[in-house]
Amino acid sequence: MSFAYALAGLLGLCLAWAVVRLVREARQRRALLAWLRDTASAELPDGDDAWREVFSAQRQLQKENRRDLAQLTMRLERFLKATQAIPDGVILLDADDRIEWHNRVAGEQLGIALEDDQGTLIVHLFRYPVFLSYLRRFRSGEATEDGLSLELGTPPRQFLVRLLPVANQGSLLLLRDVTDMVRTERMRVDFVANVSHELRTPVTVISGFLEQMTCDEPPQGEDAKRFLAMMSDQAGRMRRLIEDLLTLSRLEGESRLVSEDEIVMPTMIAELIEEADALSSGRHTVTCGEVEPVNLFGNPEELRSAFANLLSNAIRYTPEWGEITVRWQVHEGKPVFSVQDTGIGIASDHIPRLTERFYRVDRGRSSSSGGTGLGLAIVKHVLSRHGGCIKIDSTPGRGSTFSAMLPAERLRR
Amino acid sequence: MNTHSSSQFDADLDAVRAQLTQMGGLIEEQLKDAIRIITTHDQASVEQIIRNDKAVDALEIEIDDACLHLIARRQPTAVDLRLIMAIVKAVKDMERIGDEAKKIAKAVRKINERGLIGGQASEVDLRHLGDQVTPMVHDVLDAFVRSDADLALSVMRKDRDIDNLFRGCVRQLVTFMMEDPRTISTALDLVFVAKSLERIGDHAKNIAESVIFIAQGRDVRHMGDAALEG
Repeated sequence: MSFAYALAGLLGLCLAWAVVRLVREARQRRALLAWLRDTASAELPDGDDAWREVFSAQRQLQKENRRDLAQLTMRLERFLKATQAIPDGVILLDADDRIEWHNRVAGEQLGIALEDDQGTLIVHLFRYPVFLSYLRRFRSGEATEDGLSLELGTPPRQFLVRLLPVANQGSLLLLRDVTDMVRTERMRVDFVANVSHELRTPVTVISGFLEQMTCDEPPQGEDAKRFLAMMSDQAGRMRRLIEDLLTLSRLEGESRLVSEDEIVMPTMIAELIEEADALSSGRHTVTCGEVEPVNLFGNPEELRSAFANLLSNAIRYTPEWGEITVRWQVHEGKPVFSVQDTGIGIASDHIPRLTERFYRVDRGRSSSSGGTGLGLAIVKHVLSRHGGCIKIDSTPGRGSTFSAMLPAERLRR
Repeated sequence: MNTHSSSQFDADLDAVRAQLTQMGGLIEEQLKDAIRIITTHDQASVEQIIRNDKAVDALEIEIDDACLHLIARRQPTAVDLRLIMAIVKAVKDMERIGDEAKKIAKAVRKINERGLIGGQASEVDLRHLGDQVTPMVHDVLDAFVRSDADLALSVMRKDRDIDNLFRGCVRQLVTFMMEDPRTISTALDLVFVAKSLERIGDHAKNIAESVIFIAQGRDVRHMGDAALEG
């Protein structure tokens, strides 16, 4: 009997224990479910027994997830920052050519903003007919070109527009500002054309005379002498041009100033004026204005050629009986070499372009003046190598003043 | 844009809008070329502008047709109907802008044939006028695409400046004509160019009114400035 009671008691205990277990399990399960459902809750509830392991495994998983997310966010941010640093405009288009994303540069270039224009068809805002046809050809796989050259904005700038396919779908629209590249290319082409033109003119003259000299009845006596003198003139012109070109290329090629020395300026100016007098052969009055007894530190040959260029320009562009004054002064501690003339002067819109190679204010005068068109370009280069610059003041019809401005540290007292 | 129960309607509307922006791109280009040739007198561009105008006209007919079909088949109401009506109106104005660009090209062709006598100074002013009109057309098309009433309003305000510039140009041309009768024929052609540019400004303003009609549902035609701001 007592055995039966003991059994019943045991069973009762077992039952009670099972009920307690069940209730606890249910509580733990509820806690887990509540945690799983509530996305905002960060901390896991405490558990016991087998649940403790489940919870700790979950906790581990959660930790890893958080770390992965943080890493991913960081990478995405870095990636976005990197694309913002690209100097070209980048626009990501979806499969229907709607704007999905763009970087800051593209926004500025096209005047678009992601918050307003996300999902807008690109052709609605980028309406160039040539782009539309490029986009159509790109979509149908017929586009063979590497890109599209387009002028955008005011003032217009030259852009290279390219579409690139993106792996799964959609495409990438790239906008590169090539204005400066185009300008440089144009300058290169112009330079080659100018050099060829300047060299061909004397060659044409010389070969013309040579033809006459080698014909059946070549000119004799005075005529022949005159022809030879003209040919020699032209040959001299070619030589000067080639010398100037070589000087320019040397100036550009050497990055550092070599063989610098102290130049006794009053002596150099006296020599320069003597040379100028010879060049003018009495047609102009070349006078020496204020010359301060200070010296200059720099490359003597280069500076001499720069100053001589300024003087010969003044003589070339000043009519007979004009006056040319050379000055060597110190302005606010900085040395200035200037040449003032009473010549034809230069209109203000030409002044910024004067130091460009072969730039001529008056194309018709270029050959009569005898210059190579490279003089001021050389002056500008020499001065900038010495840390200085050229300053031009001019009034048409009244005359000009060309000043070589040099830095204070080149002054030697 | 709003979502419709009929996605076919959306697709049709998108097609019409795509045609509209295509036409917009074309007239912007025509206008830019027309303004450039005022000073450059580039004969090849003159002929090209006159040729391209046919494409503008063809697009006008196409879009009108598409809009008619849309109304007949889908019987749109409220905002959809407003949008389609506005498109029909805007297309008319855009076609006129194309026409004015063609007129400028024809005037330049005449000047080229006769040789320019005087008027170089006015050409620069006309180009300046043109440079004010071009961004108006660009902005109003942007405003149309984005249903941006504020941008449309700013375009409407700019039209007043254009009118003032136009009067200045004409005054200057009249002075030239009085000073030297030889310049009269050139100056007259240039007056027509100025008038065309001024008209383009007006058409841009009309399109801006349509944009405000779409975006806000209010009709701002023939309103004083005070009413406009409100």
